[in-house]
Amino acid sequence: MDSIINISNQMVLILAFLLICAPLLSFFFSLIFKRFASSIAITSISTSFIAAIILFIKVWFSKTLHFSIPWIAFNNFDIRLGFLFNDLTVLMLLLITLIALLVHIYSVEYIRKDKLKPRYFAYLSLFCFSMLSLVLADNLFLIYIFWELVGFSSYLLIGFWFTKEKAVLANKKAFIMNRLGDLGFLIGIMIMLSHFHTLDIDALFGSGNLIASSFTTNGMWVSPFNMMPDYWLTIAGLCFFAGAAAKSAQFPLHTWLPDAMEGPTAVSSLIHAATMVAAGVFLLVRIAPLFNETVLIIIASIGVFTAFMAATIALTQNDIKRVLAFSTISQLGFMMLAIGVGDEASAIFHLVTHAFFKCLLFLGAGIIIHELHHLKEKHQLQFDEQDMTFMGGLFKSMPITAIVFIIAAMALSGLPFTSGYLSKDAILISVFEWADVKGGIFWIFPIIVSLTSWLTTFYIFRVIFKVFFGDFRLPQLLEADHHQFKIHEANAWLKYPVMVLAVFCMAFVFSYQPFSLEASWLFNELAPQQHVGGIYHILVPIYINILSLGLLLITYLAYARNKFSFGLEQTWIFKLSYKQWYFNEIYDAAIVKPTLLKAKAYYWFDKNVIDGLVNSSATAIIHISSLANWFDVYIIDGLVNGVASVVERLNIWFRNVQNGKVQHYIIWMLLIMITFFIYLMIF
Amino acid sequence: MGLLSILIFVPLLFGLTILLLPKKYSQSYKYFTVAVAVIQLAITAYLYCQFQTGAAFTGVNQLDSYQFKEYLPWIRLDIGKFGALQIDYLLGVDGFSIPLLFLSALVMLIAALSSWEIKENHKGYFSLMMLLNTAIMGVFCALDIFLFYVFYELMLLPLYFLIGIWGGVRREYAAIKFFLYTLLGSVFMLLVIAGLYFSVIDPLTGNHTFNMVHMMNPQNYVPDGIFSFLAHQDILGIPARLLGFIVVFIAFAIKVPIVPFHTWLPDAHVEAPTPISIILAGVLLKVGGYGIIRIAYSIFPDVALNLSFYIGLLGVISILYGAMVALAQTDLKRLIAYSSVSHMGFVLLGLASLTSEGISGAMMQMISHGFLSVMLFFIVGVVYNRVHDRYIYNFRGLATHMPIYTGFVMIAFFASLGLPGFSAFIAEAFSLIGAFNSESVNGLIPRWMAILGSFGILLGAAYLLWTLQRMFFGQLRVKEENWLIKLKDLNVREILTLVPLAFFAILLGVIPSLVFNIINTSVNQFILLFT
Repeated sequence: MDSIINISNQMVLILAFLLICAPLLSFFFSLIFKRFASSIAITSISTSFIAAIILFIKVWFSKTLHFSIPWIAFNNFDIRLGFLFNDLTVLMLLLITLIALLVHIYSVEYIRKDKLKPRYFAYLSLFCFSMLSLVLADNLFLIYIFWELVGFSSYLLIGFWFTKEKAVLANKKAFIMNRLGDLGFLIGIMIMLSHFHTLDIDALFGSGNLIASSFTTNGMWVSPFNMMPDYWLTIAGLCFFAGAAAKSAQFPLHTWLPDAMEGPTAVSSLIHAATMVAAGVFLLVRIAPLFNETVLIIIASIGVFTAFMAATIALTQNDIKRVLAFSTISQLGFMMLAIGVGDEASAIFHLVTHAFFKCLLFLGAGIIIHELHHLKEKHQLQFDEQDMTFMGGLFKSMPITAIVFIIAAMALSGLPFTSGYLSKDAILISVFEWADVKGGIFWIFPIIVSLTSWLTTFYIFRVIFKVFFGDFRLPQLLEADHHQFKIHEANAWLKYPVMVLAVFCMAFVFSYQPFSLEASWLFNELAPQQHVGGIYHILVPIYINILSLGLLLITYLAYARNKFSFGLEQTWIFKLSYKQWYFNEIYDAAIVKPTLLKAKAYYWFDKNVIDGLVNSSATAIIHISSLANWFDVYIIDGLVNGVASVVERLNIWFRNVQNGKVQHYIIWMLLIMITFFIYLMIF
Repeated sequence: MGLLSILIFVPLLFGLTILLLPKKYSQSYKYFTVAVAVIQLAITAYLYCQFQTGAAFTGVNQLDSYQFKEYLPWIRLDIGKFGALQIDYLLGVDGFSIPLLFLSALVMLIAALSSWEIKENHKGYFSLMMLLNTAIMGVFCALDIFLFYVFYELMLLPLYFLIGIWGGVRREYAAIKFFLYTLLGSVFMLLVIAGLYFSVIDPLTGNHTFNMVHMMNPQNYVPDGIFSFLAHQDILGIPARLLGFIVVFIAFAIKVPIVPFHTWLPDAHVEAPTPISIILAGVLLKVGGYGIIRIAYSIFPDVALNLSFYIGLLGVISILYGAMVALAQTDLKRLIAYSSVSHMGFVLLGLASLTSEGISGAMMQMISHGFLSVMLFFIVGVVYNRVHDRYIYNFRGLATHMPIYTGFVMIAFFASLGLPGFSAFIAEAFSLIGAFNSESVNGLIPRWMAILGSFGILLGAAYLLWTLQRMFFGQLRVKEENWLIKLKDLNVREILTLVPLAFFAILLGVIPSLVFNIINTSVNQFILLFT
């Protein structure tokens, strides 16, 4: 199909430049013109958004466009700078700019009173620049560059309140953990470059299709340029996955994301829920043809395990942002699972819908936290404004926030008429079909994923009922007058962005027929030939949703009406969940502490053994030289001096003999003669 | 008199002027030094722009293709049956030396600008610095190995006094350690130079020659010379060429420094005054790397090829070991000194791969580390000058108190830990890519070395971010109350010093071809030595 509007390729290029340069300029200008930081940032992201819309219309439903210019060249490969436009690119561009725009607007109010507001908007712009460039990049090297830069902007934003000890510990952890994954990415790049002599995505996986021209035979992996043992194919896949796992917070590199919640909530919403963390999924979809069967099964296993683990942790957390953080990890696990079972279209579809509803959940939580914080400052109270035990009954005072939050929660649970229903069921169906083909042990995947799906409903409605229903618990807990604490609805800056997001949580945005995945314009374009018919297509949504509705009722009774409680607080299962499966403790004991100890040991070795060797050889030389000195003074020179002193003594003695007294001479003569005679007598 | 000679002897001239000027002008000496550095920077920048690339300008083992060449017969001595002793004043640059020349000029300028902290005996200090400057420029220009050696040894003398007189508490220990350690390496090298002299003849005059370019061509060796390619002579039961390579390699490895020859470096850095630390890290270490490329590798290519595995291994060990030890440091300057060891390991790893991307990466790493280590040591100097303390745990939350300073610290730290957009990322990435490709291209070093080496990047992030967290973030707290008054944010001179360094680090990170294009022809010619 031809594109709907007709603009030249040159125009596309200009728009793309505009799209990424606007946030970059905003980064600098926000720091220079501090007073106008928020206006600059919003203007720039709006520009990007408009450019993204035009690009979307141009490229969606149309063929891939690719532009590049030379950058670095070596003998047998070169790395170019370029843009790659395909469906995935423009979809991501649109998604990121739209959400970023809403978050920018929201932030104006959220960060209004902060002294470092200009810096906040500068960092946010830097993030947008990196993220948009990452999506547009046409080769793996460029993706890596912006991959690290989004990590860097995330570092800056997590540690935005840098005097908070927890925040700076969290951003360090986030960066280093992501670095670990990045090493995988870098090694993957080295393998690809070594094997294919190019990193261009179009050449590798698109029109050039080098990946298809490589094959494994006799334990060797052969490309047109090179040959290496076939385990490198698996290693390459796993390395890229390691990078994606770190960025998308998958087990075992997931522990940075909950800590990253120390940053401003608007940032958590944009970066740590909607966009950056999805970059891992994006990368894997970009390079999906690379993965062999082993790698796919590993991706699926880690995805499903992460989804399940994070969901169980989300069940018991009391910090509202932490629940959402684990929910994000869990949902990213769903996307990884979808990639693992070979259904990239569903992964991307879920990425898009998740971005909207998770962003909304965070922004909604942000509003609540913001208002509670306001209350805390006003009355000089001491409590944790993120702790859900202090909330309750907020529906009455902030109905709009409550409604949009509930819509997003429904989307997260995948209830009908929401976007989540479409995308989550797409993944579930794929997993069932995949397990059906594979059979046997692989049935464990659909079982766990269904379980996780119900857990999702449970934990998110637990949040809803704890926060918006029942009684407001703060006055009771602080033993204060109920009427003193008045919570207000959010103001326009906060309210409108979440309302827009709520619209995008509806199924009709993505499909004119809210129960039909096939009717979705987005899914159809990404994967035209999937899920036609099939028994799972009908059964899976029904049984998942019926049970979900049952669970919803249980949570309502347990948390809103307080009819009963589960009474599990003292069990090990609860503790395991509450302590986040002890991953932080394990990593600290098994990795961080030993590394620091090892570092100390190395330093000891350096100081005492290597440098000790240098110093002791110096000391040895000094000792040898002093020995030589002694020998020189006492033996050699001693001999010389000895001879001299003997002569001198003799000399003195003889001088005494020749003293000019005749009597002495006669006595000497007598002595000598007597000696002579004695000598003769004896011998 | 060519530009290279001017470059070398301008500082000497100014140094003599400083010596002759009466003491009452002592405040002006530093401006002399800055003026010299500016002149040199202008000359090197001009040379860099005029530098040509292409088949006719390969350099390395092609004497004719060196640029800005200068030639003067220097010492001619008839020594009977050994022919005539021929030592030439021969200068020239190729792709390997030109970026280092520019780097040296820039580093000398920064060092001059940071010499404001020197409070005593200006005359001695600045004249010694000028002498050092001459020696450094000479080392990178000399093509006669005897001349090279003269400049090389000439560097030691001023450094010994500069550390020993103007240094910290243990300055004498550090100075003598530095001096003896490096001298130990180079005296044995002198023997190899003598051996090379008697093995090589000038194809034009038929005399033995010290010309190092002639030494790179096997046909210039006399058939029975000790280092002849064909004769396979032994010294003490070890093949002569192997021994020659090892001796020269160790001499330069001490300078780089490569584990386990590195222990002079932390002491020298910690005790040296800031400008000397800057010169040490910015230029001196590169002399080591340059020497390995220009002399050890180029004159003994056959041996280097055979030892690639071990050289790569030393590189990996340096990367990981240096980073691990840096992680354990509590003295900021010592931490940065060890990070130098780690970063210079990439040079060796990239070089050992003998692929064009690996060697280019190694060269880039030398240049990039030049900018960044200078920046880091300058940053340490800022705190040290104000409160005379560098212990990491004595500082906390400086970001609130010194925001501009913290901004530059973050740039320097993130650049050093290899954040894309900065030169170190390009350098380290291509060193590693080269090392990884090596197994496919020439089979010299195995792939796991690149993989292990990449863990240095992770550790780099760990020790630098940890330092950032400990010293700059959190609530403001310093050891003594009055430090808060002393710890003023950067002044204009300091900002002006740091800006160009940050600028070059970013420039080369964004447009690495500025360096890659200049060195490319020479790198390719260099690789031909090994085929």
